[in-house]
Amino acid sequence: MLAVIVSGLAIGAVYAAAALAYNVMFSTSKVLSVTTGHLFMLGSVFGAWFIGTLGWPIPLGLLGAIAVGAAFGWLTEIVAVRRVLARSDEHLWLLSTLALATMGQQAVGLWWGTEPRPFPRLIEQDFASGLADQKYWLPIGLVLVLALGLELFYRGTLWGKLFQATSEDAFAARARGIATDRVRSFSYLLAGALGGLAGFAAGQLTFAFFALGLQLTLFGFIALAVGGLGSNLGALVGGTALGLLSSVASYFFGGEFQHTIAVGLLMVVLLVKPEGLFGAKRVRPV
Amino acid sequence: MTSLSLPRAVSAALFSVLLGGTSFAQEPIKIGWLSSLTGPLSSAAIAENQGVQFAVDEINKAGGINGRKIELLTRDTAGEPTKAVNLAQQLVFSDKVHVVIGPVNSGESLATVPILAKAGIPNIVIGALEGLIDEKKFPYAFRAINTNTQWIAGANNYALDVLKKKKVAVIGDTSGYGTASAKTATELLEKAGIKPVYSVLIDPNKTDVSDEMNKAKTAGADVVMPWTAATGLMARILNTRGNMGWDVPVVGHPAVMALPIKALLNKPEYWENTFAAGYQSTTYVDGKLPERTQKLVDALKPALGGKIDFTFWWVALGYDCVKIIEHVVKTTGGLEPAKFKATLEATKDFPGIYASYTWTPQDHNGFPDRNIVVNSANSFKDGSYDKAPH
Repeated sequence: MLAVIVSGLAIGAVYAAAALAYNVMFSTSKVLSVTTGHLFMLGSVFGAWFIGTLGWPIPLGLLGAIAVGAAFGWLTEIVAVRRVLARSDEHLWLLSTLALATMGQQAVGLWWGTEPRPFPRLIEQDFASGLADQKYWLPIGLVLVLALGLELFYRGTLWGKLFQATSEDAFAARARGIATDRVRSFSYLLAGALGGLAGFAAGQLTFAFFALGLQLTLFGFIALAVGGLGSNLGALVGGTALGLLSSVASYFFGGEFQHTIAVGLLMVVLLVKPEGLFGAKRVRPV
Repeated sequence: MTSLSLPRAVSAALFSVLLGGTSFAQEPIKIGWLSSLTGPLSSAAIAENQGVQFAVDEINKAGGINGRKIELLTRDTAGEPTKAVNLAQQLVFSDKVHVVIGPVNSGESLATVPILAKAGIPNIVIGALEGLIDEKKFPYAFRAINTNTQWIAGANNYALDVLKKKKVAVIGDTSGYGTASAKTATELLEKAGIKPVYSVLIDPNKTDVSDEMNKAKTAGADVVMPWTAATGLMARILNTRGNMGWDVPVVGHPAVMALPIKALLNKPEYWENTFAAGYQSTTYVDGKLPERTQKLVDALKPALGGKIDFTFWWVALGYDCVKIIEHVVKTTGGLEPAKFKATLEATKDFPGIYASYTWTPQDHNGFPDRNIVVNSANSFKDGSYDKAPH
């Protein structure tokens, strides 16, 4: 049973990291980008390519994976978000980010291949280490560091405060002289870097697989919706709960019920507490 | 109005008949080839395409079939059933092909076989799922590949009769194919008087299978039989077995010996004691391949840069599909659907490279049981394998 909990925590950490990336982008743009999971896919695929194929040292491979994730995050903002938000208040970003995500996935599939490929071992450790294996603990450790880092960033830095101001009220922030467009661009860059880093850390768990993106986009969103949109603590709790529940459901009821139960969780939370476990209730003053 | 003299009229008539006859004789044979060259499961399609293309080039270089060149119309379905349907319709109604090979995956074939049957176009089926062949509903569909049941029966026989194992753990994945295969495997085992000690379906993208493998071990399994075409899941099963230090034999789907698995294994030795249903045609006996296979390997190898790094039976199957069509044209002079059907239904032991095919009016599955053998997964060499120890 301990194996079920640890593996559930590990994959839950990846879902939580995806939810965090959603939050970073959402805070400045109010967009839930479909490319979120693809940032992770790029982190794992490019990490495997840099280290496994090109033979780069691990730290350089890590930086490369973060850079690729950040670049794709930035590209998302430029191509699929900026122009759409400038021209329409409708939720057309759903289509534009889906299109970019699909193009990104297809391009990686054509170049990298459609079969999963190995991700290199990052720390010297025997494969028979059981539950102490790095493939479980790297994503778990990383997501905690990421959540803490984001909190410190939001609370302790000027850029973080700009994020918060833009998130609270973009029009008011702009009226106060904040370049909200630049803040939004930076948030996508940051989310991309975060996704690239988390994808890299989880590479041994997920393999370097071109189709990983859409799965993480979906499960990251469920984690976010359960935890509460905009809350980093909610992202952590939602991701962990989803990972554990999927793992436990699979253990007790079999793999065929894994996704049913995960989506069932989303529905229950949305029915009982539509704002999520830690989401703020939005009251519109009239 | 001018009139022709009798000799000139006769000459003109003869000339036009001859010309007409010549143009008929030279009308190309149009083969539609629905191949998932990109997208998931593209590796099988790419290899099959090598065989199809090679056979077409070989026949055309030799002057065609009865003087008629083959025109190959390859369409990339990207592994998507909806795309496969659109392309099948395009091949039939717009390109006016005489016969269609494929699609490669059973999921796509489930969508296209009824369409081709309705259009009355002969179809060489290369999906392994049982339901793709129905002599009444799809009278022009003939299968060249083995059925899924033949793979499963071959692996079951090896586990029970050769390895003498009785406590079987059956693992399937949650895809339609994995679920149906695991069900068939269990039914066949039960027919042989064996009730699996553990059965489970796993999501093909599940990142950890420790609990399933631990449960199988706790249940006392002495052989693990995975039925999934998902490379990632298969590699995780082998890695978990290796990491647990559990030396239980794994006997199952051919995906377990596909080359991409090798790179995903934590250690090369994790591939030992692993076996899968394979083919007589691509099995080394005393270090040698069957003569027909070796001939094709030798012919193709230079074009592939001197080494074959994919499973060769796909190539052999692709090659055979075109040779089956050649057999029909040579026998009947054309590809008229009724004659196509009659010719193949009367074909017995047609010597292909992948297999020797026999079809009857009652059975459009051409692949014989005897051509299935079990291979050692880690014995890959030039696309073929060693026979599993007996």
